[in-house]
Amino acid sequence: MAGITTLCFAASYGVALVLELARLGWRSPVRNALAFGFAAAGLVAQSLYLGYRAATAESVPLASAYEWYLLAAWALVAVYLCLSAMQPSIASGVFILPVALALVAAARYASRQAVAEKSAADVWIAIHATCWLLGAVAVSVGFATGVMYLLQAYRLKHKLPPLAGFRLPSLEWLERANGRAIVISALMAGAGLASGVVLNLVKHKLPWSDATVWRSVGFFSWLLAAALFSALYRPARRGRKMAYLTVASFVFLAIFLTAQLSGNSEHEPSAEVGREMAQKSRPTVAACIGGAPHWPTSLRFAGQWHPALAPRLLPLTPRPSASWEAVL
Amino acid sequence: MKLQMVGCSHHSASLAMRERLAFSPIQAGEALDRWRLRYPAAEAVLLSTCNRVEIYTAWDTGTNGPDHQQVAEFLAEYHGIDLGAIFDDLFEQSGEAAVRHLFTVAASLDSMVLGEPQILAQVKEAYQLAQQHESVGPLTHEMFQAALRVAKRVSAETSIHRRRVSVASVAVADFARDIFDRFDDKQVLVIGAGEMGEEALRYLRDEGARQLTTINRSPEKAEAMAEQFAGRAAPWDQLDELLVAADLVVSTTGATEPIVTLERFQRIEPRRYQRPLLILDLAVPRDFEPAIGDCLGVYLYSIDDLEAVCQRNRRKRDDELPAAIAIIEDETQRFMDDLHHRATGPIVERLRASWQNVRDQELDRLFNKLPDLSQPERDEIRRSFERYVNKMLHPPLEQLRDDSRHGHPHGLLEALKRLFHLRD
Repeated sequence: MAGITTLCFAASYGVALVLELARLGWRSPVRNALAFGFAAAGLVAQSLYLGYRAATAESVPLASAYEWYLLAAWALVAVYLCLSAMQPSIASGVFILPVALALVAAARYASRQAVAEKSAADVWIAIHATCWLLGAVAVSVGFATGVMYLLQAYRLKHKLPPLAGFRLPSLEWLERANGRAIVISALMAGAGLASGVVLNLVKHKLPWSDATVWRSVGFFSWLLAAALFSALYRPARRGRKMAYLTVASFVFLAIFLTAQLSGNSEHEPSAEVGREMAQKSRPTVAACIGGAPHWPTSLRFAGQWHPALAPRLLPLTPRPSASWEAVL
Repeated sequence: MKLQMVGCSHHSASLAMRERLAFSPIQAGEALDRWRLRYPAAEAVLLSTCNRVEIYTAWDTGTNGPDHQQVAEFLAEYHGIDLGAIFDDLFEQSGEAAVRHLFTVAASLDSMVLGEPQILAQVKEAYQLAQQHESVGPLTHEMFQAALRVAKRVSAETSIHRRRVSVASVAVADFARDIFDRFDDKQVLVIGAGEMGEEALRYLRDEGARQLTTINRSPEKAEAMAEQFAGRAAPWDQLDELLVAADLVVSTTGATEPIVTLERFQRIEPRRYQRPLLILDLAVPRDFEPAIGDCLGVYLYSIDDLEAVCQRNRRKRDDELPAAIAIIEDETQRFMDDLHHRATGPIVERLRASWQNVRDQELDRLFNKLPDLSQPERDEIRRSFERYVNKMLHPPLEQLRDDSRHGHPHGLLEALKRLFHLRD
């Protein structure tokens, strides 16, 4: 299991995407089965990869930004497989798999440092991360259904016949899916934000002026406004507006995640900062023998060296059990 | 084994003639019972649709089956028609051509509307009816099972069946189904009482549409149509209200000017809150002003729009035809190879048995004359005789297999029967 890399499942998803795109030229149940099989194999590989990381984590399992992106991609592929199993003729993979692949690619630039240590606040951290994860997945699914809606509506308005092998769901179904995506993403983002506030009150680690706090508030405000707009203004409940709202939500999400990856926040380090931190935090053999290494305080790295780890850290890559304490 | 098809179709006979020769399911059952009494050794399946009446027959080579003339007489006699009146409209296919014809019919490549889906169900029903009346035998069973399999293969490997070519079916399958997920909760408004509208309504009913309102300047016509489709009729002056409530409009009036102008629609538009509205304007001249199609949430299709899609679908179907024909050819060849192979089986068996019989007799004679032979010596001699028989039989059997593959083993079969005195 340790041999599984992100490339394994990214390649599986890539092949599944190519097979989905091949719908236009290759109409056969074999193609459907192959696309489903590759995506399912990728999902199994990704599950094993995440399971292995969770089992071997020295701190809270799956608590790094890197793993958050991978979990979001995992959830999206699971949604694709469900849709594909229920309606194999619908080209849902063409719209969902690119987002999943983008999330796997984004994970490469995300920090691999766990954002939390094992503590009493774990439950709030789990709620916080899960809610944002589900919110992001809902926005991504909404984006896929929103784009499908716009394409289907364009075809119908321009009186074009359906492309053989490239079926899209009906406008009514897509409209319903878009509406649900908006509501679920607003609810999840709200819950994620609220749990983040509670967490910060409990641990007092992230300044309220931090960029992530304001980005989160901004993103949630947009989702809330979109949900209220569609609930209170009847024409906004109708297809095209709903589709635009879901696509715009995804654009906001992309901006939000890109800003997070840039790492100018104390919420989480960027991959570079994380690597730098890992480099600096790597204890020397002398330090291992002599006692706790010195952690750079400027990075707010609050882990403590534990002597019990010394024997297995003595080989070339000593990895401290310490982690980022600043949760938000 | 003989296979034969005698019948008429839209290619060879007029509608009037097809109507005279057509069988209802009850009549078809009756006819098959009569067939069994008259030709007990011949299998038969009777396929009767609005486009064709065909009798598929089969019998073993050793038995007597009806020829073309006798089948024609049977048809004429059943319907009480003079044979001379129908004989020129009937055509015959036999052997491989009959198999190919059935496969082509089942795959809907011989239909009036290429790729129409009903024919497969009709072929299946014809076969089931023949089964019920015990007129099916091993040959027709194999042939019809293969036909159903071929039709499914053509459907899966080409898109011929997915291309609709009638205005009403395109309107419902290619457009309405892509706008609405379900139809049972949709308000369908029918304006006018044209034939095209009726056809569209039939498709919508099949899709589950239940809430139907008809409206016409002549209330009697509206009521008649409402009764036919289990809907309700509404007075003409409620048109605007009904347009506000409608999800799907089918319009087929004979009005010379548009009955719903852009201005009129814009007056009711705010009350619809941009709810999707599918308008199938099947009237000529049009009942809805084309500019209405630009309004938000409105999907307006005129008869020309739908006809253009039909034309495109027809062209695409034609493009797929060679692939479908290749499948038919491939399957026909496979079926005939299997059939011939099975036909040679009994002869091969008898030939082997006859030679083995001679071998055993000679061995017994030899062992009686040489009683001092040990068991290993006897076994060796037995194996030697076995190899000898196999080597002698190999060339004629190989030649027979080759002829079977090429579809003409009958001459060789006859020769083998006569040379080696093989009796049936």
